[in-house]
Amino acid sequence: MRRASGSDDSGKGSVRPGSLKGLGEVLRELGAEDVRVVHAGAVLVTVGKGRLRGFVEGLLKSFEGEARYSTGVGTDFRPLEGSYAMTHVIALDRVGAYVLVEVRSGAVRPSIPSITPVMPAANWAEREARDMLGIEFDGHPEPVRLILPDDWPEGVYPLRKDFPYDLKLSEVEGVDVGRMVGEPRNFSVSPRVRSPDAEVAYASIPMGPYHPALHEPEYYELYVEGERVVDAKYRGFFVHRGMEKLAESRMTVNQVPFLAERICGICGYTHACAYCQAVEAAAGIEVPERALFIRSILLEIERLHSHLLWFGVAFHLLGFDTGFMAMWRIREDVMRVAEALTGNRKTYGMNLVGGVRRDVRGEKVSLVTRMLGKVEEEFKGFCRNALRLSEVVERVKEVGILTREDAMKLGAVGPHARASGLEIDVRADHPYAAYGFIDVNVAVKDSCDVLARILVRYEEVLESVRLIREFLKLMPEGELMAEYGEIPPLRVGVGVTEAPRGEDVHYVVTGLGNRVYRWRPRAPSYMNLATVPTMLRGERLANVPIIIASIDPCFSCTDHAVVVDVRTGARRVIKLQNLLRGCPP
Amino acid sequence: MSRLRVLIEGLSKDVVTEKYPYAPVEVPEGFRGKPVIDPSKCVGCGSCVNACPPNALSITDEGPYRVVRLFIGRCIFCGRCEEVCPFNAITLTREFELAVTDTADLVQEVKLVMARCAACGEPYAPLREVRKVAERLPDELRALAYLCPKCREVMASHYVSFARR
Repeated sequence: MRRASGSDDSGKGSVRPGSLKGLGEVLRELGAEDVRVVHAGAVLVTVGKGRLRGFVEGLLKSFEGEARYSTGVGTDFRPLEGSYAMTHVIALDRVGAYVLVEVRSGAVRPSIPSITPVMPAANWAEREARDMLGIEFDGHPEPVRLILPDDWPEGVYPLRKDFPYDLKLSEVEGVDVGRMVGEPRNFSVSPRVRSPDAEVAYASIPMGPYHPALHEPEYYELYVEGERVVDAKYRGFFVHRGMEKLAESRMTVNQVPFLAERICGICGYTHACAYCQAVEAAAGIEVPERALFIRSILLEIERLHSHLLWFGVAFHLLGFDTGFMAMWRIREDVMRVAEALTGNRKTYGMNLVGGVRRDVRGEKVSLVTRMLGKVEEEFKGFCRNALRLSEVVERVKEVGILTREDAMKLGAVGPHARASGLEIDVRADHPYAAYGFIDVNVAVKDSCDVLARILVRYEEVLESVRLIREFLKLMPEGELMAEYGEIPPLRVGVGVTEAPRGEDVHYVVTGLGNRVYRWRPRAPSYMNLATVPTMLRGERLANVPIIIASIDPCFSCTDHAVVVDVRTGARRVIKLQNLLRGCPP
Repeated sequence: MSRLRVLIEGLSKDVVTEKYPYAPVEVPEGFRGKPVIDPSKCVGCGSCVNACPPNALSITDEGPYRVVRLFIGRCIFCGRCEEVCPFNAITLTREFELAVTDTADLVQEVKLVMARCAACGEPYAPLREVRKVAERLPDELRALAYLCPKCREVMASHYVSFARR
């Protein structure tokens, strides 16, 4: 990651008040054993097990209203250092830094204190590390599986380094797959669920395994009283694809960008960028400026098509299919330009570690400029009328409320957080690619409802158009690819981008022989999905699809499965056999 | 009023839906479609195999032949093979209609004759690759290119021991 030099004229390039130097002091005072700047904008602190919770509490107090849980990564360091590590990535958006809080645990019966009681957004990350690596989190309020099916055998941890990537479960000693599948199912959706603290019996309505409009696997169980949703449970992670394992086991650093790009079927390029940034930061590779500008232009083109797609889906869910058609018609121009620039409508395949593979110049620039003019005019023209229609506005106003406090607590990111009044945007807070050269206007609304989410994205589409124009104007001549030798092993890097859906974090530990030792992508929907049950409570059943869609969820990106809220006390499990069959019965 | 404007706007726009597959669609210059190996240029060096992220390309030595195999069923059309090929033997075409009724039609194979070691007679590398390497070697070392790695090692150690005497 690199920041604009001479930040006075470019504004956002500099580290904000409370610079990294001062930060080190603060972190040490809070009880960090070791503080090390791993690269610009990322500080690695080592904290002892006993002091962890106190450290996190202190951090939350010192940076009140700012320290935001970003992601958590469990790593099996046994082959190298004989220990497991859990690295909590905490974002300090006003300081402009990511604090990586690393805690180590012994190799036998690994356990680490849970920070979920003090930082609720850590819930999923800790459970994921428990599932995949077998690290126990002492004091975790909800120590149940998240990713793996509930009848996955005990003691089999796929992300441990001694678990070969091509090992079949049937080959694991002591595991009888036939017996597992033969077990009686108890995932029957009961027609009526009794709340433990109430006398009322609620009807339960399963929604899924496919979202009515998004055609992606997810499962919500809604508890309703008449038309009103009383509670909701979410279970996802049906499409875990084992990408991390694949990358760590058999791919080289320059093959992973293409895998990363396939994390998402809509905003893949942002993943490729975040991954490359992480490796570049870890290895200290200086990316040529022209390449940074090209990346930024493509990232904004991707945001344009992604937001336009979302507008289409949202209008469709509201029954306003004219809007759906119009948005997708406008979007088509964006897709064609992307195809002309990169060779494909969606999978751009432009990134390698160190730069980009194709130039944007000549005829291609005028193609982009023409497209921008057309999209801006048509989008503005259509929305001016469409966003005044009562059948659109009345359906979304004061629907699906997520308060600012809840958004912060649950770690909401992206347009979803900005619609709840949180002014966070990676492009402005932690400038990457060429965003350090330009001021990004962050769209913020505070009505906290679905309408706000529509308006935030409306402004962001127009902002993307403006940004692309600026980038084309300022783009310097120069190389497209940095020269570098072998990637140095065991360096840590964090690459963060503002995906159309929010903050996208990639954590990389480099390995020997131009490989990655650990790669952990965290898509924005991972954070935003956890906010859905909160938004659904008290809503009408008919509003559920649009509320879920309002976070622009990307289930496959989150790709990893469970019940979030258990107010009713009844815990239901999804069996492996059901996953194998592709749907719960 | 807004409703009427939406209607007018809708009526004033052209149809963007393509007639495809009833009419062909044009893909732009630089489109990343089906990769094709030019069998007359490929030397079987394996650069593409090393770069290929999904293992769509593979290399196997089958007796007197080295076989470079491209399986389009695994291909992700990233174009890394094209980028790394030192002889421009593999290129991405603009072809994108890849449906076939037989999986075998998704495989392209290039069979290259292996060079036999001048000393022991074992096949060790594609003849074309060996020639390319030999061209670049200085005259006094050229003969080494025609030996298999094992015999070359032996020969090289001879050179060294003679030099010492």
